[in-house]
Amino acid sequence: MNTSAIPLSPGHDSHSHGDHDHNDHGGSHGHGPVLQYQPGLPLTRGKLIMWLFLSTEIMFFAALLGSYVVLRFGAPIWPKPHHVHLSEPIGAFNTFVLICSSVTIVLAFESAKANKTAAAKAWMLSTLLLGGLFLGIKGYEYKAKFDHGIYPWSPRSRVFEKPDLYYGSAVRARLGEPAMIDRLKALDETPESKLTPDEVSARRRLVKIRQLVISPDQQAFDLAVVADQIMPLPTAGQGSHGEDGGHSSGLNDTFPWLKLPAVIPGGTMWASTYFLLTGFHAVHVLVGLIVFSILLLFTLGSKRAGMIENAGLYWHFVDLVWIFLFPLLYLF
Amino acid sequence: MRSRLLGIIWSLVFLAVPVLGVATFAVAPAFDIWLPENVSEHGPTVDGLFMFILVLTGVVFVVTEGLLFWFLWKYDAAHAQGPATYRHGSHSLEVVWTILPAGVLLFLAIYQMNSWADIKMRRPAMSPTVEVVGRQFEWRLRYPGRDGMLGTPDDLFIVNDLHVPVDEDILVQLKSADVLHSFFLPNLRIKQDAVPGMKIPVWFKATQTGEFDIVCAELCGWGHYKMKGHITIESREDFDSWIEKKYAEQESTQPVAEPSDAVAIAD
Amino acid sequence: MSTTTIPSTHSAADLATLLPVRKPRPIADFLSTYVFSKDHKVIGLQFLFSTLLWFLVGGLLALAVRWQVAWPWSDVPVLGKLFAQQGGQMSPEFYTMLFTMHATVMIFLVIIPILAGAFGNFLIPLMIGADDMAFPTLNMLSYWFMWPAFFAFGASFFVEGGAASSGWTSYPTLSTNVAASPGSGMGQTLWLVGLTMVGVSSMLGSVNYMTTIILMRAPGMTMFRLPMTIWAMFITAVLQAFALPVLTAAGFMQLADRTLGTGFFSPEGNMVNNTLTATGGGQPLLWQHLFWFYSHPAVYIMILPAMGMVSDILTCFARKPLFGYRPMVYSIAGIAGLGFIVWGHHMFISGMNPALGITFMVSTMMIALPSAVKTFNWLGTIWGGRIQFTTAMLFALSFVSMFIIGGLSGIFMAATPVDIFIHDTYFIVAHFHYVLFAGTAMGVWAAIYFWFPKMFGRTMNEFWGKAHFFLTFIFLNGTFFTMHILGAVGFPRRLADAYHYETFHHLQPLNAFMTWCAIGMVTSQIIFAVNFFWSMFFGPIAGRNPWHANGLEWSAPSPPGHGNFDFQPVVYRGPYEYSVPGAEKDYLMQTDPPNAAAAMAAAAAH
Ligand code: HEA
Ligand code: HEA
Ligand code: CUA
Ligand SMILES: [Cu+2]
Repeated sequence: MNTSAIPLSPGHDSHSHGDHDHNDHGGSHGHGPVLQYQPGLPLTRGKLIMWLFLSTEIMFFAALLGSYVVLRFGAPIWPKPHHVHLSEPIGAFNTFVLICSSVTIVLAFESAKANKTAAAKAWMLSTLLLGGLFLGIKGYEYKAKFDHGIYPWSPRSRVFEKPDLYYGSAVRARLGEPAMIDRLKALDETPESKLTPDEVSARRRLVKIRQLVISPDQQAFDLAVVADQIMPLPTAGQGSHGEDGGHSSGLNDTFPWLKLPAVIPGGTMWASTYFLLTGFHAVHVLVGLIVFSILLLFTLGSKRAGMIENAGLYWHFVDLVWIFLFPLLYLF
Repeated sequence: MRSRLLGIIWSLVFLAVPVLGVATFAVAPAFDIWLPENVSEHGPTVDGLFMFILVLTGVVFVVTEGLLFWFLWKYDAAHAQGPATYRHGSHSLEVVWTILPAGVLLFLAIYQMNSWADIKMRRPAMSPTVEVVGRQFEWRLRYPGRDGMLGTPDDLFIVNDLHVPVDEDILVQLKSADVLHSFFLPNLRIKQDAVPGMKIPVWFKATQTGEFDIVCAELCGWGHYKMKGHITIESREDFDSWIEKKYAEQESTQPVAEPSDAVAIAD
Repeated sequence: MSTTTIPSTHSAADLATLLPVRKPRPIADFLSTYVFSKDHKVIGLQFLFSTLLWFLVGGLLALAVRWQVAWPWSDVPVLGKLFAQQGGQMSPEFYTMLFTMHATVMIFLVIIPILAGAFGNFLIPLMIGADDMAFPTLNMLSYWFMWPAFFAFGASFFVEGGAASSGWTSYPTLSTNVAASPGSGMGQTLWLVGLTMVGVSSMLGSVNYMTTIILMRAPGMTMFRLPMTIWAMFITAVLQAFALPVLTAAGFMQLADRTLGTGFFSPEGNMVNNTLTATGGGQPLLWQHLFWFYSHPAVYIMILPAMGMVSDILTCFARKPLFGYRPMVYSIAGIAGLGFIVWGHHMFISGMNPALGITFMVSTMMIALPSAVKTFNWLGTIWGGRIQFTTAMLFALSFVSMFIIGGLSGIFMAATPVDIFIHDTYFIVAHFHYVLFAGTAMGVWAAIYFWFPKMFGRTMNEFWGKAHFFLTFIFLNGTFFTMHILGAVGFPRRLADAYHYETFHHLQPLNAFMTWCAIGMVTSQIIFAVNFFWSMFFGPIAGRNPWHANGLEWSAPSPPGHGNFDFQPVVYRGPYEYSVPGAEKDYLMQTDPPNAAAAMAAAAAH
């Protein structure tokens, strides 16, 4: 091929199928000479195409972030992080995990370059594990959202914009489900001694709410009370308490099986954008992990340093995207 | 010489482009295939700008296509003597033909800003004359009732039949109940998309009485082609008596003025 | 045809690897050579054949569109069988589907892939002196990603409700609410899937092209010795790489709106046909911004490569250096750069803030400037040349002539007050068919006639080529020029029947005339198809350099074997050294070693 050692550059393609027979045509032009080039940049092909690929990725995330900004500032109301159970400490820890993994992959690259294969493998493995940890924590956060009825899409989402009639009927429908009726009955019959004081108070409030929701001349005011009982929204001053952002006093928190619809103004669009952004980021993390796993199958000596470097470039990019996402989603 | 003949023929084919092009535009008005009658106050600015750009681009068109023809005619290899001019370009020409169009375009850009601002930015200070809601596949109109305010129980509801008084500022509040539509009044040189979730003001002043089409100009589904409305521009008296008549009709048929799609129409 | 001399005897050795096989081969070998080949030339031809087939499909869809516009609700020939229950007439929802898919096919399956996929692939390595693309496997994948798109778009015609029918722009909430239109069901979903696949294909192609052009130029081939074709392909690849991901992201969001029930593009409580769209809280205009952020640069993606190829063809048949090489390069870059900040001109009356409209109007006016520079330089190129009226040259000249018309009509729409009247009328339809069909497609034909010898080792028939040109040129102007005056009346686009409007009902005869021209235009393509296939097998053998052109590709065998070059190409000069005074022939190939005479002449000229 062209210049001496270019990792990742595929070989002259005609070797891939040896029994070619152009020469059948009486050809004087079988396989041409090995051509010389004058590269315009001091980069290997693999590295250049990786940079170019990453610039397309930048535009991809720029579009998503741009949409987020437009939707957020176009929305009449946007929930505070705590209204939607985001926890800054968890997010910050995850940021830390990713930054560590960026360091380990650099170390893997350095070791591979020095041909220290065992060390390279160890660092690569730790990158893989850190990436896995990140996804694990992300999964835990997703679960916390799902537990609160926050799903990215509507049929499953139990989030409502305001305590209106639609909301009222959704709560009523949930309370009217056969399995729910049985559970409520069981709860009503549980002797007080078997319940914690919290649960006792919650049970009392739940009874009230069931009455409010069923009453035919329901008022918007009543429904606001219902919503507040099911999942109170912390006010600005309250700050965070509890590790996923508070609301230990809501009925849904005391009885997690209740899964009653909740009111979070702006929550639906928030959820759509949150899952869109973090979801596409997570997919990119996953792709990185797959690449690392494949790399781990090889001996990571100096011959593979170029590959590790390219994988590292990609990984740094994935980290960088997160560095943008974290403040946008968790802090503002 | 056969090939010279061919060269002539091909050059003439290219000459036909500007000749027939200009001819098409020249005869179109004679066949009434031209800007429809204008009845709005701002219309002459739009039409004037159209004509101005037509003349401007027409000159550029004729000159460039004319040169193309002339070069083909003159420098046909079968006819021109000697080798081609060995020339890689010309600095001064490049400068000229960059600066000149830049000046023309910049002038055009600045020249038209004011009329754009008049039509779309300088909204008259008044409450809406009528609310127009696009809906698959009709125009729902709502006039403020006797109290002059939209959104009160005495609003007047009409479908597809817009009436406005002549020589008065009209402010339309444009909305959509479902998908995108576009409120197009060809004779009033008005077009504005109706966007779900948005309230868009549209204003104009009609200068003549008459009856004209309202066209939906944004694809809104299978029935897009038939989303046809009708605008009647009439004197103030005719308008007032029309409103009175419609209002009386509505009172008699509909005790409570509550349209079925209150959710979609309410603010 | 004495204007062109085609040296017809070259050794049979130059015959294609691609020509009919003489002895039966094992299937596996056939597959690896013609189907899963990693050779850029084979991939280029795969793109070429696929896109030409889709071109035919798109053209037939256009005919059906024209039929309805001219004679609405009359019995449709051939297609009529589909509508037996309705008595042979086309339904309005079928009409919306027709023009949506016509545009989708033409843009995403014809023009973009034929320019970047077919010609980009075939020409880039050959014209820069490389043996292949930098990443042949990736290159093969970029072709194979087109197939899911072919299937998705193709299958969408047969699903319930029919193919997508919210226009090629696919504006929500028409496109996101299943109840809004029959085609907004499965058809729209498949449309989005197809679009994403086309996007992946383009993305893979564009990063590969850029890498190849940057790293794999032959010794001596500096950036400013690249032919315009390569410059155009390079900058097009940059545009693709930076604009396309935005459409992909938007496509994913619309897909989520449709399948998951998110509401990125629907406002709260949006109902269509009494069906709730989604939870909502989103903005319909956001889609338009994202869509046009891609699709405006995309219109330049659809014309820059044609501009590049036309520049090369014009110089060759004017036997003259390109006028203003550097200004030509800079203006391509200028078009690309400005192309990113004008998208709002599609949204002047969309409800976007009118003050924003002003900024977009100014940038749109300015983007005409680099196009003006290009136009004048093309005229400068033929000025003082020795013009040979070959078929390729005629098509290239018509590209210039037609692009002027299409470009100038753009100025009307850039003027915001005028756009109020002509937006979404046939004036727009005229504009983009002049740039896309009369411009780009004519440029593509020029390129096919010009590089056919390099592709297949044989030249196409000149007489029938000219007949094809003449008929296409006449009919195309008959079809599309008249659209301008239709637009001046305000005749709206996308209407299955406009004659029930007072304002428009006298326009039917003119539309009938245009439809007859369109029928003539499509029929004339039979000449092309026959000429194309006949010449592939029976045309005169071309030899390495049938047109006496300068580019590197013409020093390789026709068609080139694997590895392209049977010698190490070294480049000594730019690609446009025609009619150098004192040289013994009127062209100096980029690989011709400098000799005393040429050096003297070059010194004298500067
Ligand atoms: C290849 C495709 C292509 C190209 C090159 C262009 C080029 C241009 N386009 Fe076009 N355009 C489309 C494809 C293209 N367009 C499509 C597909 C649509 C419609 C999409 C849809 O809605 O479905 C569209 C729609 C469209 C609109 C929106 C109209 C509307 O919907 O209301 C506008 C508005 O400004 C516009 C403007 C321009 C301008 C100013 C140029 C300029 O780049 C043109 C510049 C060229 C010249 C001006 C000619 C040469 C110059 C001279 C000879 C010099 C002298 C000239 C002067 C001094 C005036 N285009
Ligand atoms: C590249 C783009 C392209 C091309 C080439 C064309 C080509 C044509 N278009 Fe198209 N058109 C669009 C892009 C294009 N169009 C777009 C973007 C729209 C807007 C859609 C929307 O509103 O959403 C549109 C809309 C549109 C309309 C408006 C519909 C409406 O708004 O109601 C009309 C009406 O006349 C029309 C007509 C035609 C015609 C007659 C052709 C003819 O030129 C077609 C001629 C076809 C051929 C000549 C085929 C030739 C075949 C071969 C050469 C193959 C040979 C085969 C082998 C060798 C194997 N088109
Ligand atoms: Cu409403 Cu088109
Ligand atoms: Cu544009």
